[in-house]
Amino acid sequence: MRVCIYIWAICLFAGTAVSGKDKSYEVFEMMTASSPSDSRSKEWKPGDGISLEVSGMEWMGDGRLAVCVRKGEVWLIDNALSDDREKIDYKLFASGLHEPLGLLKDGNELLVCQRSEVTRLQDNDGDGVADAYLTEADGWNVSGNYHAYAYGPERDGDGNLWVTLNLGMGSLANNSIGWRGWGGIIGKDGRFVPKSLGMRSPSGMGRNKEGDMFYSDQQGTWIPATPIYHLRPGVFYGNQESLGSLKLADAPFQMASIPKPNTPYPEALESSPEFVPPAVWLPYNKMGRSATDIQLIDQNGKFGPFDGQLLVGEFTNAAVSRVFLEVVGGEYQGACFPFLDGFAAAVVRLEFAPDGSLFVGMTNRGWSSLGNRSYGLSRVRFSGKTPFSIKEMKAKPDGFELVFTEEVDPATLESLEMISYTYEYSSRYGGDEMDTKNVAIEGSDISDDGKTVRLKLKGLRRYHVHELHATGVKSKSGSKLGSPFAYYTLNQIPEK
Amino acid sequence: MPGKDMRFTFFIVTLVAVIGEGAQGAPHVVGYERFHSDKPTVEGGAILFSELGCANCHGGSPVVVPRKGPNLADLSRRVDREWLAAFLREPESGRDGSTMPQMFHGLSDGDISAVLDYLGTFETKKKISPPRHANAERGSAVFHESGCVSCHAPTSDYKGPHGSGADFESDLIVSHPDFKKKTNIDALTVFLSDPSAYRPDGRMPHIRFEGQEASDLAAHLLDEQGSDPREMPRLRKWPKAEAASIEKGKELVQKMNCAACHESPKVGESKMAPLTGSSGGCLSDKPVEGLPFYSLTEGQQESLKLFLSKKESDLDNDITFAAMNCYACHDRDGKGGATPETNPFFVGDEALGDSGRLPPPLTGIGHKLKKSWMESVFRGDEGSRVRPYVKTQMPVYAKHAVELANWLEKLDAKPDAKQMTLHPADIEAGRKMLGIVGGANCITCHEWGEYSLMGIHALDISSLDERLRPEWFRSYLLDPATYRPGTLMPPLWPGGHSTVKDVLGGDTERQIAAIWEFIKDGEGVPEGFPDRAGGAFELKPVDRPIIQRTFFEKAGMKAILVGFPGGINLAFDGDKAQLAQVWRGPFFDAYNTWYTRAAPIEKPLSDEVYNVSVSEKDARFRGYRTDEDGNPTFLSTLGDQEVEESYAVEDGKLIRTIKWSEGRPVPFFHPEGVEHAEKREGDTLTITYSWK
Repeated sequence: MRVCIYIWAICLFAGTAVSGKDKSYEVFEMMTASSPSDSRSKEWKPGDGISLEVSGMEWMGDGRLAVCVRKGEVWLIDNALSDDREKIDYKLFASGLHEPLGLLKDGNELLVCQRSEVTRLQDNDGDGVADAYLTEADGWNVSGNYHAYAYGPERDGDGNLWVTLNLGMGSLANNSIGWRGWGGIIGKDGRFVPKSLGMRSPSGMGRNKEGDMFYSDQQGTWIPATPIYHLRPGVFYGNQESLGSLKLADAPFQMASIPKPNTPYPEALESSPEFVPPAVWLPYNKMGRSATDIQLIDQNGKFGPFDGQLLVGEFTNAAVSRVFLEVVGGEYQGACFPFLDGFAAAVVRLEFAPDGSLFVGMTNRGWSSLGNRSYGLSRVRFSGKTPFSIKEMKAKPDGFELVFTEEVDPATLESLEMISYTYEYSSRYGGDEMDTKNVAIEGSDISDDGKTVRLKLKGLRRYHVHELHATGVKSKSGSKLGSPFAYYTLNQIPEK
Repeated sequence: MPGKDMRFTFFIVTLVAVIGEGAQGAPHVVGYERFHSDKPTVEGGAILFSELGCANCHGGSPVVVPRKGPNLADLSRRVDREWLAAFLREPESGRDGSTMPQMFHGLSDGDISAVLDYLGTFETKKKISPPRHANAERGSAVFHESGCVSCHAPTSDYKGPHGSGADFESDLIVSHPDFKKKTNIDALTVFLSDPSAYRPDGRMPHIRFEGQEASDLAAHLLDEQGSDPREMPRLRKWPKAEAASIEKGKELVQKMNCAACHESPKVGESKMAPLTGSSGGCLSDKPVEGLPFYSLTEGQQESLKLFLSKKESDLDNDITFAAMNCYACHDRDGKGGATPETNPFFVGDEALGDSGRLPPPLTGIGHKLKKSWMESVFRGDEGSRVRPYVKTQMPVYAKHAVELANWLEKLDAKPDAKQMTLHPADIEAGRKMLGIVGGANCITCHEWGEYSLMGIHALDISSLDERLRPEWFRSYLLDPATYRPGTLMPPLWPGGHSTVKDVLGGDTERQIAAIWEFIKDGEGVPEGFPDRAGGAFELKPVDRPIIQRTFFEKAGMKAILVGFPGGINLAFDGDKAQLAQVWRGPFFDAYNTWYTRAAPIEKPLSDEVYNVSVSEKDARFRGYRTDEDGNPTFLSTLGDQEVEESYAVEDGKLIRTIKWSEGRPVPFFHPEGVEHAEKREGDTLTITYSWK
């Protein structure tokens, strides 16, 4: 345990280096809960300012940023790209919503996901304030339990609008009816169309460059660590509290078998054809504790050399992680890397601005984070100085290929170490890494350009997380890695 | 309760097969089974030496609280005589794995009868009367959720949120007697209300049941279906005994040295018996006249022999945790705690992760807790249960509170632990650190006395100075996960560096000490608690109506509340697309809806309410529009009809306008007790609600 925490602490400060010391990324705080009039102050009254507990963001296409906040409002922000906070203007667009947790532009209008429905907001008289709150989609059970959140909508490459539904927990919770722990799309008649199940707290969705959807889930019952899954129809993600809805008439499929609990993941996965592993595990503590939003980097280098990869918000650590994915054996899998941290509050939503900067929406409420503000909105810009990082980690039949952002000093490669482990599939709340073994590094080849390193390993294990320690690796120019750890989830070992 | 002891029976059958036909089953000692049954160990022997009562005759208990037998008072009012006769003849017949040795080999039925006659005279004036009410179903919940199933097997028909009794299997359970044969609801209720009255050694510990939980539990254990205990079976009366038989029984009780284990006024003086060797005697394979017979397994015999040949100082110090079965619930140094079988039965607040349902680990507990607090917990003082969300209850060991606390303090003493350096002037900084305005956000998750924020409801930290030693507190904050594996508490000083740079210059030691100072000081609350509900968050419509969605008692989970200026308010049910409630006076307090994590189902701020009898119609809610004054029009479809329902307030009257599209008036309902006038023009109906 002590070792874990030690490693975690290193990650934290190494990560800070990325956003701090060498300034590859600069953070600009647009608004945080620092003013005396914020919602947590004893003097705060409704109406005395905006409590910007960001739960959804969307660019309106006319330079304005729409932000929904958990209190139940949508704000339109003018001059959101200005460096002068005085010029940034906040206008209330909609209010009275029930804990909205997602925002999506549809045509010129906004869709917002409330607890019980997706609502279309219209401003028919053009005064800048919504005057129609129309039910766009509903059809899931709302029991009154606080934990039964609804997230979305998020658009996939085919134009489907996805909604994910949190499991209830505690008093009033009822997960046995009405699609709790399911993800689905909005049907033509405005009804929720269930597609896949086994979710726990699917608080973030995002699509990759190919248009495929991914969602993040939270460590908790049935979920040992933080997973990122490929979201698609007809599969089961593991949380058995969602099985009750299979009895409903609209259930889109039945499971051939229910995976066997209290077995290691590799075994449990084989016990049910519908049960799928996460594309990437974000090991608990090492990568944070609670993933949130997913955002594709597709900025033509304006946000650094990581285009095509996914960013994942991290609540507890007030951080942002980076995920590299590849297709092996027809399924997504890949690696995660600590990326940015030190934000003012828990990171909940991510959205790229038209200029290639990243907007980070934050709220600490309900949990807590290493950020000591209760909420905020920040903007991250790439300074142009590429950080020395492991950009990609690809699986090979006998090892991994590491692609670095700079030339590597070959003499330092000897220091590389790797372990691998899996988790237990069980109903317990979270779970430890199990079956941990050292992976012997038998050799490494470096490419002519000095940036690609081919590792030959002994003892790759399918369905295991392969954790790379590169604390001793340096670039040719002597830099250490900002984040010297990488975690590859090896669901399949490629044949070639 | 068929099936309850299935697994255990299997275990006994196996043992019988091993030790040979006709022999009594071996005693089942959980502390021994948990870690020592695989191969003989000194510790295993020590546990047996204590838990089989050996130390009661031979002296030298290796366990802090010596094992005793039950108090024999009032047997004739608590226990069925025939059951007891069979039990004395062969303890195994009364309870699988009983640790009561066979004492009566070589004695006649008449001798046993005489002993019973004598025991029948142990009556006291203690009140043993039927409880008023009993509910086996509620008793089942008590049994399966309060921690009983940490030691005992769940009932086979029980299905909990995570665990089921149907396929439960474990070698580490303590069996029950057949309660129906042994006792009845009166006696069992009295017993469960305070087991320590009859079982002074705490092996069946005392859980502080509330109200009628004890009688509910007794009804569950007896599988009683009715609710009136007076109609449940009574104990058969013990026959009146002859004086001569009583006298003979008395002689036998004294001769057999029952008093060594059973402390009862009339049982007599106990006699110590020096150990004469480490084989034969009580350890024999066959009963020896005049000596207890335990029917030990070979492993148990070997363990006892190992123990008897070692010095006491060689023992690991965990004997007491094993013997008293603390390990059934608690982990200590990676040993014990929930097993894969019992884990699903530990329930609590899942929002707190495993620490919200599993009892805390005992690793270093004597260094963590102040001795006075440990005594308080063992005594079961009011307020000593600091984790109300963990459903498993810490039992009370009131009779042994002082010796247990002394022992733990000595056991875990860390004289070299780094002390906290206090700076009394830093109290205000401590208040800031605990708070959520530029502090470490402790109160986001932790309760503070009667205050709690929006977060998860973790342990109340307002008086932790009464419980914790400051040096442990310091070490814990620096590295929570080491001290509490699996905790959700984030390290706020990772690597010793503070995440809060603006307080006390980010000085880790001073920040931690400041938190301690503020808590110890006991004055004030951490920075950042908002005003309590009922004030600052009241929504007051002034110029325009206010619309707010929430969970609402009379209007469902898709409720839309509308407050109009002038004190007329309504709730529209967005599931049924109908008006659900009207009220006059203050509108709504949005504190919970806006700012708590687990918002309750809300109601109007006023008592002047007018309910609408909403009945089902096949309407589908389609949202609402607002006009330029902010008045709402609710939209719905009913079959092929589009329906619009608008509300406005004029001159203290509520104006409701219903329009439909296909020429067929739609059903609707009035708020009850409000005067109304209707006016229809074509496909529009206008209703005016007025108050005198």
